[in-house]
Amino acid sequence: MEPILVPRPKSVRDPKRPVSSLLLAQVKHLREAEKNLPSRYQSGIFSHAIQTESEAARYVQAVTEAIHAAHDDAAAQRVRKAPKRKHVIEIAAVADERAERRTRSISKQKKKKGKS
Amino acid sequence: MTTGLDQLKHIVVLMMENRSFDHMLGSLKAVNPAIDGYIDSDPFTNLDANKNPVKPQALAEFQGQLDPDPDHHFPAVDVQIYGGATGPGRVANMQGFVTSYFHQQEDVGHSQKIMYYFKQSDLPVLTTLALQFAVFNRWFASIPGPTICNRAFAHYGTSFGRVDMDPFEVIEPIKSIYTRLVTANPKHSAKVYYYDAASSTMEVANLLQNQTEVFGTYAQFLSDCDKGLLPDYSFIEPNYSDHDSDDGEAVASDQHPDHDVQAGEALIAEVYTHIKNGPNWANTALLVVYDEHGAIFDHVPPPACPKDTFHSTQVDPGTGLPFQFDRLGVRVPAILISPWIPKGTVVNRVFDHASIPATITKFFLGSYPHVSLREANADVFIEPNNGQGKLANNLLSLDAMRDDCPDFKMSS
Repeated sequence: MEPILVPRPKSVRDPKRPVSSLLLAQVKHLREAEKNLPSRYQSGIFSHAIQTESEAARYVQAVTEAIHAAHDDAAAQRVRKAPKRKHVIEIAAVADERAERRTRSISKQKKKKGKS
Repeated sequence: MTTGLDQLKHIVVLMMENRSFDHMLGSLKAVNPAIDGYIDSDPFTNLDANKNPVKPQALAEFQGQLDPDPDHHFPAVDVQIYGGATGPGRVANMQGFVTSYFHQQEDVGHSQKIMYYFKQSDLPVLTTLALQFAVFNRWFASIPGPTICNRAFAHYGTSFGRVDMDPFEVIEPIKSIYTRLVTANPKHSAKVYYYDAASSTMEVANLLQNQTEVFGTYAQFLSDCDKGLLPDYSFIEPNYSDHDSDDGEAVASDQHPDHDVQAGEALIAEVYTHIKNGPNWANTALLVVYDEHGAIFDHVPPPACPKDTFHSTQVDPGTGLPFQFDRLGVRVPAILISPWIPKGTVVNRVFDHASIPATITKFFLGSYPHVSLREANADVFIEPNNGQGKLANNLLSLDAMRDDCPDFKMSS
């Protein structure tokens, strides 16, 4: 079967196309989401002034990327170096050492008392 | 006997924007009378403001015709379905499309364009796929209203009682289909592929804010297709706007009026081609569906349906009438694609977007306790392959893969 030809779209990007109600709704959703972001992730774009698709797309990109960045940064912060802890065997060995030193010290003291 | 259902591992859904069944696929009735579209001898009309009958005509244009964007919010769709009638006992007669569009500009001539549809030759991709695979005669929008709530049904099986476009809250214990899959034991994989960050997703309030890991880009989807790395479930969102991109200029491909319909044809062709030419073709099914009718005419009255768990208040719909989510929205194009589907399949069972999470859940998880009433009652477009499916409803019914599936090629 011969491939079916798909006409190449003739349209070109229209930077001044008025923003649709759908995109305005998406902007509204993102505006609400942006309020939940820390200040360093704010877009600095006044979304209420958006009038064209281009302007909407610029805002949508900024906030979408900010949300991703905020989550990525939070995930990175969760990976922190654990405090250096001695292993159980090491701890037990140290305890044994300590006990042995105490025993030696006690027996030394006993010997000293015995001599004098 | 084994069928294609035994091979299925990946389900992909591409949801386009705002075009009705008759507008996009109505012309196919002349090719296959089993497809419930429109032919010139059909009696369906709408009256215009001068009380003259307006017949559907094959005069739809790719761009520049449906401007202003036809009103597809809940109160306007109510007029379109009921012809303006209110109160108890009213009948869905699909007589209000011209009236509704007239309300926007009070231009009689322009209002008649809401009854235009595309010729088969105008839409070589969509019409070929509809004729070659399985086309649904009765896939309806989930609610007679706009995009955000209809897409919510595709993600959650409900819109949580909302019929408007404002941000909504997910009400526990209902979870998105993505959450169900990735938190299951054993874990499944799921992705929402949006076109790019400048187009993003229409599900911001909950998914994007809280589950960024679910998202990927369209470029990643194409790469995943090519490398055989598709997740178990993929949901693709088209490009919602004209904007600058890394590749130059990105033209909107969602087919929402007044975006170029041919750009959407190119998108559908590209999605299909990458799946077909990739290593997952034999075990993937692709559903191409539209979120709602965009206020464009369709002759089939949406049926009543079981009420949802949630319902809107009298104030919310803007019609003065309470809405119990007991009637579906207007019919939309829906096509299921797989090399295991017999050519020319026409499905007459009733579906809506709640069928999407219902299908994905039952196929991959078997059962899930916390679903909406609408989802619990929704039919599935792919039967679960666990002994609980209805074999008679299996659309992937061939016992051998077809080798005659169409190919598309961009003209130079």
